[in-house]
Amino acid sequence: MKYMIMTFGSAEAGLAAMGREWMLEMIEFMHRLDKDLRESGELVDEHGLADGSQAKTVRFQNGIPVPTDGPFAESKESLVGYWIVDVENEERAIEIASRIVAFVKNPIEVRRVMDAPPDF
Amino acid sequence: MRELAPQVLGTLVRRSGQFDAAEDAVQEAVLAAARQWPAEGTPDNPRSWLLTVASRRLVDQQRSETARRRREESAANLELPLKSETVSRDDTLTLLFLCCHPSLSAPSQLALTLRAVGGLTTAEIARAFLVPEATMAQRISRAKERIRSAGATFAMPPPDERHERLRVVMHVLYLVFNEGYAASSGPDLNRGDLTIEAIRLARMLRQLVPEEGEAAGLLALMLLTDARRAARSTADGSIVPLEDQRRNLWNKDQIREGVALLTQTLGKVPVGPYQLQAAIAAVHDEAPSAEETDWSQILALYEVLERVSPGPVVTLNRAVAVAMVNGPLAGLAVLGTLDGDERMAHNHRLEAVRAHLLERAGELGAARESYRKAARMTASIPEQRYLALKAARLA
Repeated sequence: MKYMIMTFGSAEAGLAAMGREWMLEMIEFMHRLDKDLRESGELVDEHGLADGSQAKTVRFQNGIPVPTDGPFAESKESLVGYWIVDVENEERAIEIASRIVAFVKNPIEVRRVMDAPPDF
Repeated sequence: MRELAPQVLGTLVRRSGQFDAAEDAVQEAVLAAARQWPAEGTPDNPRSWLLTVASRRLVDQQRSETARRRREESAANLELPLKSETVSRDDTLTLLFLCCHPSLSAPSQLALTLRAVGGLTTAEIARAFLVPEATMAQRISRAKERIRSAGATFAMPPPDERHERLRVVMHVLYLVFNEGYAASSGPDLNRGDLTIEAIRLARMLRQLVPEEGEAAGLLALMLLTDARRAARSTADGSIVPLEDQRRNLWNKDQIREGVALLTQTLGKVPVGPYQLQAAIAAVHDEAPSAEETDWSQILALYEVLERVSPGPVVTLNRAVAVAMVNGPLAGLAVLGTLDGDERMAHNHRLEAVRAHLLERAGELGAARESYRKAARMTASIPEQRYLALKAARLA
């Protein structure tokens, strides 16, 4: 079963707060995690998203689509990156997420991808 | 070619004693055949061709190993004349047992079985499960490592383990079948192929263990379920429930074959859950219309199934049958016995069935709430849409 593991917040703000040492450790951590998930045959997809400050939000106002600069959500709630993993059960998805949160500290969301066959 | 792959692999593993490397060599031979045969024509003896190419690959690979003596011994073994080789039926069965080794996770068992026994390429399996090819290749590679480190050998399991191991093999094939059942959105021909593949492997298994009633039951269940495939969904992937399906679209040949299999085994061997589930499917498939379905017989079969293989899902299905025979309130009462069951706490099906029965009982408000709850809990998009629509119709 496939799960999406999501990280939120602002990468830039994180860097500013934590400093160079943390940044290097983070790069090393992500590299190791990527390697492990590839080797275990669980990685399906992973991407980091551009900083929220670079995003556009498109709203529907008075009957027309209106794009504006900026993300939809507050910085700390803004999606910043995700992994999609194919794992045996939810416990394993949480195990992977636990490894990430131990490093990233901000809450991580784990959500099942809708890939189940119908019962009918 | 897919039928030949496990035969060739069995022979090669027997000779070389190395499942891991032999499996890679056979996969390479299969890929080479897929490239060359369309252009040059299928060889007169395809099996020989595959065996020769796979053997060469294996020898080439072993030439780069450091142990000289081992190399020479294996190479000598592999160069034995190929013509005298007879196909050992036991080899394919042994392969099946190996691929479904209990030390492997279910996804690994599925992947390895499809490749080593099914003869599918890594790319085909990856596409079927919607993962990158590299991911699937790693999964298979790791599975083979696990088998090796678990100390498994290319031999039949000991007699006292055989029954349980066979049960695992059948479960794996059933999981493959179920994965194929998902083909309802997009041009997912490959997922439909999984169903065909599962049926083919189940046929193979039945031939390998003809004395096993459950192997016949599994094949019958697959045939009788797959028979309804054309009627199960609309062009846009929407679900059509059993009672609304156009029965003229059901595959009569598959129904006939499934029923024949059941007739051959029921009552002659100890009855098992697959045979019982197949028998239930047969009652549905033989009814000319939904209204003419013999629900009393279905209920009786569920009562037997509950004794043979009890569990909350069986109880849930029995509740549906109870409702059809004794009315929705009786069915809802059976559901009530599941409400405290931890195993059903995160299962959308309990809510979906409850919603259905509440609707039939005229409790429309409660039914709508249950449909919505089930829609939020399911991980299947077609099912989510179906349940959400049912809720919306009651608004």
